[in-house]
Amino acid sequence: MRRHLLLILTLLVLIPSLAILIVTGWGVVEHERAMKKIAESYVLDLAQSVAMRVDRPRFMHRAQMMTPPRVLDSFVLDISLPGWVALVDESGNLLAASSRAQDVLPQIWQGGIPVGRTTLVEGPFGDTYTIAAIPTSQGWYVISAVAWSQLLGPMVRFSHLWPAAVGLLAIAGMCAVWAFWRWLIMPLLSLESEVSTLKWGKDLPKPDDPPAVWELRRLRKVLYQLAQTAREREELRQRYVSDLVRVQEEERTKLAREIHDGPLQDVTALLQRILLLKQEIWNKRAEKYIEIAEESAVAAVRELRVLCDTLSPPWLDLGLVQALTELTDRLARTYGVKIYLEASELPEVSKDIILAFFRIAQEAINNAVKHGCAKNVWVKVSYDGEFIVLQIEDDGSGFEFEGDVEALRVKGHRGIANMVERMRMIKGKIDVQSSSLEKGTTITCKVSFPLISGEETPRDAFNI
Amino acid sequence: MVIKVVLADDHPLTREGFKSYLEGKEDIKLVGEASDGESAWEVIKEQLPDVALIDIRMPGIDGVSLVRRVRQEGLNVACLMLTSYDAQQYVLASLRAGAKGYILKTASPDELLRAIKIVASQGVYLDKEVALAVEEPGFSPEQLSPREREVLLLAGRGESSKEIASKLYISERTVQTHLASIYDKLGARNKTEALLLALKYGVVTLEELLE
Repeated sequence: MRRHLLLILTLLVLIPSLAILIVTGWGVVEHERAMKKIAESYVLDLAQSVAMRVDRPRFMHRAQMMTPPRVLDSFVLDISLPGWVALVDESGNLLAASSRAQDVLPQIWQGGIPVGRTTLVEGPFGDTYTIAAIPTSQGWYVISAVAWSQLLGPMVRFSHLWPAAVGLLAIAGMCAVWAFWRWLIMPLLSLESEVSTLKWGKDLPKPDDPPAVWELRRLRKVLYQLAQTAREREELRQRYVSDLVRVQEEERTKLAREIHDGPLQDVTALLQRILLLKQEIWNKRAEKYIEIAEESAVAAVRELRVLCDTLSPPWLDLGLVQALTELTDRLARTYGVKIYLEASELPEVSKDIILAFFRIAQEAINNAVKHGCAKNVWVKVSYDGEFIVLQIEDDGSGFEFEGDVEALRVKGHRGIANMVERMRMIKGKIDVQSSSLEKGTTITCKVSFPLISGEETPRDAFNI
Repeated sequence: MVIKVVLADDHPLTREGFKSYLEGKEDIKLVGEASDGESAWEVIKEQLPDVALIDIRMPGIDGVSLVRRVRQEGLNVACLMLTSYDAQQYVLASLRAGAKGYILKTASPDELLRAIKIVASQGVYLDKEVALAVEEPGFSPEQLSPREREVLLLAGRGESSKEIASKLYISERTVQTHLASIYDKLGARNKTEALLLALKYGVVTLEELLE
């Protein structure tokens, strides 16, 4: 229905217009003929009735006494009838005439008139006249004439305007349809297609395009404002999530540093004293206690170190490849799985990228082993002069992922959502390919890292 | 001969502890100490000790950079990393920078003294805890072929399989086969471990690695 609205509208306007145009055109043509016929019969009737009256002996008697020309009185002519009548003799001398006929007839009648039938004459002021001449028994002639406008009145005057008026109506109708299309249907269609492809919370519709009726412009404006609000809200939400991740990372780093510089050093110092004391020991029992103390202190140091490494690995400072090497070594040892790291030569990258890639690799390997029961994990990091690409592939069981990160987050699976968030924070892209049918998961992270030409990138201080 | 030692550690209590380890030893003399990277550099430059005990994490210049500076300035000082970090990547980074040894702060006084003596006599000392989390494979160095040794050294210098392949005029696949065989023989799981083990067993020397 929506698609055919315009067609229906056009037809609704055009068909009646055309019908009226045709009917009126035909009417105009027929009208002309009808008017002609009416005028003809009227004029002939008029002339014949006057001729009949003139032939009567009473008129003849009076005619003999009159001095021509005489006014034809009501005896022969009902003066209320439109038209003019004149009586002339065989040589054309005017014997009698109805009122004003004497003035009018010479103006419209010049020259001969065929006797017994009507003639159409164009008058001096654009009027049309029908004239007829009828012979009487005395050998005179009755001449009658009528102006169409006089006989048929306004019908004559306006009949020509009808087709023009209807034509105008049709044109106006088409203009209306065009305007309807241009300012209502088109903007509506454009708005509809824009809204249907709009990513709510990300995109904005065009503020005012194309030209439309005020109501539609207003609608678009309102929609624009709504989309803007949605986008601002989404930005706020994302900033909030980013802040969460960032603050969490900062807190972890701070905590790790404090543990390293505080408790870890203190326990180390404690262990040193225990070890020193051990050298001084002479008592068997005391030696036993000291050994237990030593073991506890060593265990505490190890635990604190593991805690620091888990919170915020210090080796992140060493560079991306070193950080990933240490990570894969440790996870391979912890889980007893094979992790193959393949790293090509990389430029010195920022701490943000190292941290993001490190955490994503960590999460991906943990997921692969813990949830996917993977036995082999392949970690690849490469650089092609434009993008740094990290790929983590496993032979685990895989999972059904339809690309909706938020849905995963809602379900409590924050791992993938966090990876996406970390890539977003460094303006990178992440792609997760997994299927429980195909087995295995492949996570690909890509971040743009153009090298500034002509400038030797200094290697990391710790780079090896 | 008395070994002159400088100690750089930012934590006063542990620094005191290490001082106590060295006290009363006739063949070792503590000639200076520092609590940050900058002053450590000053003390080392001034005292020119035989051995510098350096913490990796210090305010100012970090330990690895300090070691690199000592080496770049051509000072004849054997640097021994004394740290809390057990990451193998730190061991490699330190060795690459020019350190002669790596020992954890949890090491016993005897181990520390042994390490000082080894690096003072141009040896390499690696803490058993960082060098290996694997069991001793009962390995004798002769088992590595000369070609495997060559591959391991190049890999140790940070060259990729591709680069090694083009240097030795062999295929990348052959390089991978050699590496797999090296890992197998050394009982290592990866390049880092293989390298640390090879250093520990004397299959390769630090000098060869730094060539």
